[in-house]
Amino acid sequence: MVRVPGFRTAAVAVVGACAIAAFAAGASAHNAASSTVVFANTSSVQKLDPDVVTNFVDFQALHLIYDTLVTYNDKLQLTPDLATSWSFSNGGKTITFQLRKNVNFTDGTTFTSANVVASLERVKDPKTADAASSFIASVTKIVPDGTYAVKLLLSHPDASVLNGLTSLNLAMLSTKSIAAGTLSKTPVGTGPYQFVSWVPNNSFTVNANPGWWGGKVTVPQVEIKTIPNEQSIASALQAGTVQIGLMTQPQITEHLPGSIDVQKVLDLSYRALMLQDRTGPLANLYNRLAMACALNRQSVLTSSVLGQGKVIGPVPLGPYTSSPISAVCPTQNIPMAKSYLQKAGNPGGFTFTAMTSTDLDATSSAQAIAVQSQLKQAGITMNISNLASNAYIQDWLKGKFQGAFAENDADPNPYTMYGRYFAPGANLGVPSGYSSAALQRILTKSDSVTTPAAAAAQFKALSTYLTANAVWLWLFDGYVYAAVTSNVHGFSLPPTRELNSIAKATVS
Amino acid sequence: MFDSRNRALALTIVRRTVSTLITLLGVAIIVFVILRLLPGDAITASLGVNAGLLSPAQHAALVHFYGLGKPPVQQFFSWLGASFSGNLGVSLSAQQPVSTLIDQAAPVTLELSIVSLVLGLLIGVGFGMIGALKPGKVGDEVGQGIAVVGLGVPVFVLGTALVTFLSSHFHYFPSSEPYASLFSDPWLNIQQIFFPSLVLSIGIGAAIMRTTRAAVLEVSSQNFVRTARGKGIKARVVTWRHLFRNALVPIVTMSGIQLGYLLGGTVIVEQIFILPGLGRLLVTAINERDFPVVQSITMLFATAFVLVNLGVDVICALIDPRSRGR
Repeated sequence: MVRVPGFRTAAVAVVGACAIAAFAAGASAHNAASSTVVFANTSSVQKLDPDVVTNFVDFQALHLIYDTLVTYNDKLQLTPDLATSWSFSNGGKTITFQLRKNVNFTDGTTFTSANVVASLERVKDPKTADAASSFIASVTKIVPDGTYAVKLLLSHPDASVLNGLTSLNLAMLSTKSIAAGTLSKTPVGTGPYQFVSWVPNNSFTVNANPGWWGGKVTVPQVEIKTIPNEQSIASALQAGTVQIGLMTQPQITEHLPGSIDVQKVLDLSYRALMLQDRTGPLANLYNRLAMACALNRQSVLTSSVLGQGKVIGPVPLGPYTSSPISAVCPTQNIPMAKSYLQKAGNPGGFTFTAMTSTDLDATSSAQAIAVQSQLKQAGITMNISNLASNAYIQDWLKGKFQGAFAENDADPNPYTMYGRYFAPGANLGVPSGYSSAALQRILTKSDSVTTPAAAAAQFKALSTYLTANAVWLWLFDGYVYAAVTSNVHGFSLPPTRELNSIAKATVS
Repeated sequence: MFDSRNRALALTIVRRTVSTLITLLGVAIIVFVILRLLPGDAITASLGVNAGLLSPAQHAALVHFYGLGKPPVQQFFSWLGASFSGNLGVSLSAQQPVSTLIDQAAPVTLELSIVSLVLGLLIGVGFGMIGALKPGKVGDEVGQGIAVVGLGVPVFVLGTALVTFLSSHFHYFPSSEPYASLFSDPWLNIQQIFFPSLVLSIGIGAAIMRTTRAAVLEVSSQNFVRTARGKGIKARVVTWRHLFRNALVPIVTMSGIQLGYLLGGTVIVEQIFILPGLGRLLVTAINERDFPVVQSITMLFATAFVLVNLGVDVICALIDPRSRGR
């Protein structure tokens, strides 16, 4: 028999290592301190300055620290935050906010009208490069009205300013921090938590703010941990090292054990096939209507996200939600599609190309394939071009596409959603691919009314116009998930995906 | 005083060092050019489609902030010059010195690489020797099975399967706890590093095993081995001094090649096992178009790879005098 001298030692070493690991495995690790709730997210916190963040997890993390003047409740209605009330005057061109008293920043300074002025002026300063400054573009002056009131003077009536003020990008800042220039390193806010540490690409940790105006914070520490893939988040939940996993993939959440509560909410976003309607076959209204009629949006939803979502109209959520069934051809109607093609003078159909980016929306290719096969039934050929995220964004910004499968941010206020695309002088007028005086009139009017009833009528007209002209093709809104371990009670994920309900949750 | 053998060795080292420097300069240029040729810029990478919401004044402020207005050649030489002086720049997203980020991440990747290589060598050389000395027997068959798995199953599949198995059956996923260094919490560190290293080592071990097996089989049929056995030299001595030592050059060469594979593998494994190493830092930086970080880490990986190859050449020259001066 041939022996392999020395191998025995190596074999013992390998087996020993495995035995150690197996022992450790048996030991089971539930080491997270009960005082800490660990959230897991695939993205990492990238920036700390609330005025310049755009990454979703940055918003979630910094919203634990910062407050805004106005916020949304669970029904996506405007509700007080640091402003206790507000009123319009001067024909809708002045908004006066009454501010909350006895609110302190975690650096010890007191929140007053001076903070509102300094915060919003910083937003409007081009050097800050706050992309959300367009929300208050109509604000010409910010005037303190005593210590606890402030007036925003507008160039024209603009009710959507209130919705804009819910954005973390317009959060209330400490004047001391602004003056010291420390906002990008040490967040200081008035919210339920105060900043502890940030390890780029890894974790973001906050501790309870004992002086929070909202009362006692029941979870003393929160960590937002970056786990780059959702399967690993599922594993961490089962290992007990993460208490709440923020996820988007139903195929993973469906396989979590029953001990983990999976909350699902419709995201404040929407999937649409954006169209460039200015040139080519898509400039013809009847071609676009033919596409709208050829679509089976429920089937797109089923094949791309396993049916985990809802078919939507232009306004997916909030008090002005539009009904998807009011659209032209609410369900697939191939004969109608063919009749529209006849009217367009294209009885044999036409060809166009739509771009997708699975980097930006993992489901976009599946959506495109489903839409492609449906359009084919009416004789319309859609070529698919899948691009890397940067190439997609570059082409999107320049309007260099015929169709683009997009996941766009939504807002409870339809003007905030679509004003940026279709209003006069809209920042995103080029990628919107469409402009019309009639649509601009509807948008301008909808933004000038200040009563909910008048706004509802205008926003209904907006939705009707967008769908009747098949400006784009709205597809669906998908669910997002919060997988919560059984020892966390009282946390709920709202459509805005803010994590602040953790402040009043309990951990057993 | 150099004799002719040492002179040949020194010449080999000098020649390889010069070619290493040229290679690194080439890598620096290629990385720099490729990053700039990609569509989009740091602004669109940072803001996405929201970049379209910026006013011209805001856009100009960001162009200045990211240094996008400077000519590319000026950007390249200022980066290269600063790198030589140890200043790798500041991360555009984290707003921290790149050297600080690398200092935090490099020990993780280094430890992962070393442990993976050691495990890979144990698996590869061990099963390779068994296979060569007892071809067709159970040990050889097991080794061949491991080789098939290691070469055929991608690292991300093995890693994901292992993580899922351990967490669902044992509620065990040590890497999901905050990373502990070897000095702060050795026991947790071993648990966090062992499993990703095991996943990486199977791929490395498979290649080394096949090389070892083939090389030892080739050497074992040569006359000097038969002579050594015929002279009654102990089996242990024949195995290690005659067989293994003469088969060492291809094994060392293959191990060097596998280190390159290892650097690529750490990028994937660090994602799955949540290790805050260089691979994860690189992926994040690429996604965010954080040029200073991407350039620095790519150069670091390239430097490590060419230095390992340089080391392999030197070791081979030491082992086999015939390779000197080639």
